[in-house]
Amino acid sequence: MVAQTVRRAAPFAAACMVLVGPFLIENRFLLKVFTFVGLNVLVVVGLAILFGYAGQVSLGHAAFVGIGAYTCAILTTRHDVEWILAFGAAGLAAALGGFLLALPSLRLKGHYLAMATLGFGELATLVFVEAEHVTGGVDGFAGIPFPSIGAFEFREPSALYWLVWGVVGVVLVLAANMTRLRPGRAMRALHGSELGAMASGVDVVGVKVRSFVMSSALAGLSGALYASVVGFISPSVFTVGASVTFLAMTVIGGTGSLAGPLAAAALLTLLQYVDALIPGVSRQTALFIQSYQADVYGLAIILVVILSPKGIAGLFRRVRDGVRP
Amino acid sequence: MTMLKVGSITKRFGGLTAVDSVSFEVFEGTIKALIGPNGAGKSTLFNCLTGFDQPDSGTVEFKGRQIVGQKPLDTVRAGLARTFQNTRLFDEMTALENVMVGAHARQRAGFAAAALLLPSAVSEDRDAANEAARILRVIGIDEWATTPAADLPAGIRRLVEIARALATVPSLLLLDEPAAGLNVPETRELVQTLFRVRDDGTTVLLVEHDMGLVMEVSDEIVVMDRGAKIAEGPPRMIQKDPSVIAAYLGEEAVDE
Repeated sequence: MVAQTVRRAAPFAAACMVLVGPFLIENRFLLKVFTFVGLNVLVVVGLAILFGYAGQVSLGHAAFVGIGAYTCAILTTRHDVEWILAFGAAGLAAALGGFLLALPSLRLKGHYLAMATLGFGELATLVFVEAEHVTGGVDGFAGIPFPSIGAFEFREPSALYWLVWGVVGVVLVLAANMTRLRPGRAMRALHGSELGAMASGVDVVGVKVRSFVMSSALAGLSGALYASVVGFISPSVFTVGASVTFLAMTVIGGTGSLAGPLAAAALLTLLQYVDALIPGVSRQTALFIQSYQADVYGLAIILVVILSPKGIAGLFRRVRDGVRP
Repeated sequence: MTMLKVGSITKRFGGLTAVDSVSFEVFEGTIKALIGPNGAGKSTLFNCLTGFDQPDSGTVEFKGRQIVGQKPLDTVRAGLARTFQNTRLFDEMTALENVMVGAHARQRAGFAAAALLLPSAVSEDRDAANEAARILRVIGIDEWATTPAADLPAGIRRLVEIARALATVPSLLLLDEPAAGLNVPETRELVQTLFRVRDDGTTVLLVEHDMGLVMEVSDEIVVMDRGAKIAEGPPRMIQKDPSVIAAYLGEEAVDE
């Protein structure tokens, strides 16, 4: 009874905390850090759907973030498209990319699918670098306007923070509903046993394609927001390294859960800025963590696999059910 | 009435003819068993009937419609459900959730409807849960409803898989070695379930090694050996059939 109340109240409490963030945080830099947390959460929620629910691995998700970012950047600067339309177009463009990447997934499994998505990611980075007249190449793409809806421009860090977290909130609610009902069950079934899912009447092809499309669309939206918040993008942001980071957050967060990957995305993003968050921690420590980021994530994954194979979500479930780890 | 009419199904793997022009019929409301020594081609034939494998030639007529060449999803929608020799449950999901997946093909709430919590999506979900709970109760395993499939004993796993297949509301239920790995009480439980399923109006075709079970539950038996059908008839007849005894005891090998 108490557990259930806590479970129902927790999302509201978290939402309220996020909502009042800008009133509590006076430091503009910190507010930006928390905005970045939201951007990463958006990508990781998509990956949680694809990997954590449907069981399909992607090592190329940064490519979709990039597709979204460049789409938004190009439309708003060169074609004077309304921001909100460019934002939507970014999601659509990434979704289209996700649809294309879903096609090999119908034939490939496990490691082979991972390799195919990795190749897709590398290819995307190559295109971002080489298609100079469109993307600006290695020098990047500058002068991307702030997000705006009608006459209102989101310039202030607090406004950007609310915009990003507003999108995250809407996406989380929709994703939570979707995963709880029929589509979510089909995805988990696919994850559990593809043969079993087929035999139960699940349209395995349809579920795979939809999962890829949804998760890449979310990455694309995150990319569009990133481009508009920062104002500058370059291929170095959308590398396979970033894809691995996103997947690491999802794995550490745990399968069959949205809250776990959300927590992992938040923790691992904040870890890089530990000096600004916790008084007394030196800048050196944060720089050290940043330069050894890949190793930190690798270590975290090893710890998760040894201590709680189902990630943060699994650990939480065990604590809730009163089973000792 | 004929529920399933298998016509000259042949399936080759390279030079090996796994199923060699096998024909038989399954009548509505009966339990039919497919038996034979290891490697007789039973599971291959089974896969050809359910769309998990495609035969090289032959026909499969189900309720008067040709279904040969269809995908598993289509055969399920047509009313043909199956289980696997090695149970294919969704381990992270509870027994109830596993059975709820069986309702999938009959429901239509898409990703958008579910994300927006449309009333149709929510009520469909409740229906699936109620129906799954009812099936678990009928089979007598409702006490396991909230247990994750990974933690279920072997016998219960089999029954949950049968329950999941039943949730697709099949006209014909195909069971691939349902008694494999079960102990004696679990096998008794299975026999009861099979009778209950048949009495509820579902026709059953099973591949099985456990002769005791086969002789007890089947109305008719088809015997296969080395890809070909060697006998067909009621249990009493099959027990006395010389070619069946030869296939099982290897009399032919002694003669040569």
